[in-house]
Amino acid sequence: MKTYKDLPSDGGSNIVGQVTQQVYRLQKRLASVRYTVAIMSGKGGVGKSLLTANLAAALRLRGYDVGIVDADINGPSIAKMTGVRSAQINYDAAGVKPAVSPSGVKVMSMDLFLKNDESPVLWEAQTQKDAFTWRGTMEVTALREFLSDTEWGALDYLLIDLPPGSDRLPNLVDLLPTLGGAIVVTIPSGVSQLVVKKSLTMAKAALNIPVIGIVENMSAYICASCGKTEGLFPTGNTEETAHQFNIPLLPRIPFDPRLSIAADGGENFLEHNAETPAAKAIIEVGNKIETFFQYSIASVARSDP
Amino acid sequence: MKFLCLECNTAMQFKEAAKPEQGSLTAIFECPDCFAEFAMHMNPWETQMLKSLNVQLGGKSEAAQPMQMVRSFLSEQGGATAATDQNTQTTTMTPESEGGKCPFTSVVADAFQEPDSSGPVWTPEALARLERVPSFVRPMAKTSIEEFARENGHTEITTDVMDSARGSIGM
Repeated sequence: MKTYKDLPSDGGSNIVGQVTQQVYRLQKRLASVRYTVAIMSGKGGVGKSLLTANLAAALRLRGYDVGIVDADINGPSIAKMTGVRSAQINYDAAGVKPAVSPSGVKVMSMDLFLKNDESPVLWEAQTQKDAFTWRGTMEVTALREFLSDTEWGALDYLLIDLPPGSDRLPNLVDLLPTLGGAIVVTIPSGVSQLVVKKSLTMAKAALNIPVIGIVENMSAYICASCGKTEGLFPTGNTEETAHQFNIPLLPRIPFDPRLSIAADGGENFLEHNAETPAAKAIIEVGNKIETFFQYSIASVARSDP
Repeated sequence: MKFLCLECNTAMQFKEAAKPEQGSLTAIFECPDCFAEFAMHMNPWETQMLKSLNVQLGGKSEAAQPMQMVRSFLSEQGGATAATDQNTQTTTMTPESEGGKCPFTSVVADAFQEPDSSGPVWTPEALARLERVPSFVRPMAKTSIEEFARENGHTEITTDVMDSARGSIGM
């Protein structure tokens, strides 16, 4: 009796070929993107999306063409933070036009497909019972479509805002083996460090993804009245984590309520608060990303025709 | 998956996808030598998994539309909004309107069509009685009675149906 390998095809469906075609479509789309950067943490609530939106703005200030993929399919927030929630989704045979923020950042997010604030991401199914068996695949396919079917055009940087969970980066790398680098976000709490270390191990040891550095968000609170700096989370040690994993500790970003106010209003924080310590730190993180790709061996190799 | 005709020791070929029922897709395969056929019934989860990969049984005859999976299968119940096709200037979002573009997507979308969602009709007397239910539990009571009516084949909710439902939902 013939075995699986003896049979030349799957009977005409060529499922593997179809998936390969999807990969090719993604590669073709991203050929015009110079650098892809994942913003990740593993831990929720540390400010990944807020940092992503502001890093995009910082890179725009440097004159780069920037896009953001909101990979948080179930909890999308990038569209709100960049002020594009009301954008209409338009598509033609070439793809879907991304929303464009007032500062010129191209954005694709599940939020653009949802009817209103209360709408969850719910997929058509005969039954939602036991949906765990297929929902993850649905989400990865949605992310693949965001990457491959958005008309990004020529971009210098495509930032990918990953949701919490140490499994998210492997999913992304499956789709995007050429991921240029990752920024890991934490807050200076012991709990956050514990979770973030798992993501760092995943990125460095398991996936061999270049980690651009670790960003400590909400590093301290600076009093708007007297300028005194107070620690918010005194128990963690981000410096030690960076040292343990031999990755750069990027500029620390202090807590600033104006960041949250700008995000809620879909406004560009850097535009109106450029002289604040938080803005300066974010801009400096952007500069570090730029430096990383200018000097990394990987980027040199990729820029070769 | 690959299928082998044990009689001929030949790889079987996909022939067609039969009209799905209740979320279960059926694919028919045929032996090119002896023309024996068999049907593979997928359970709803297997069908959903195939759908989630956005692949097509029998091979794709045309390229996928942009964001085909997201636009086709994001449930309107979950709040899917409309997208504008700039070529045709038509609003496209629902699985129904996507049906013509991708044969497999269409087939699977058919499999996931909910039964008539309009629900049973309330008589004025039944509605008046429902109004006597405390307001904070009224939506839950209404849903429960409608569910009971659907399960028991009632197209109209009367006070008699409400009496029948009383025992099961504790009104």
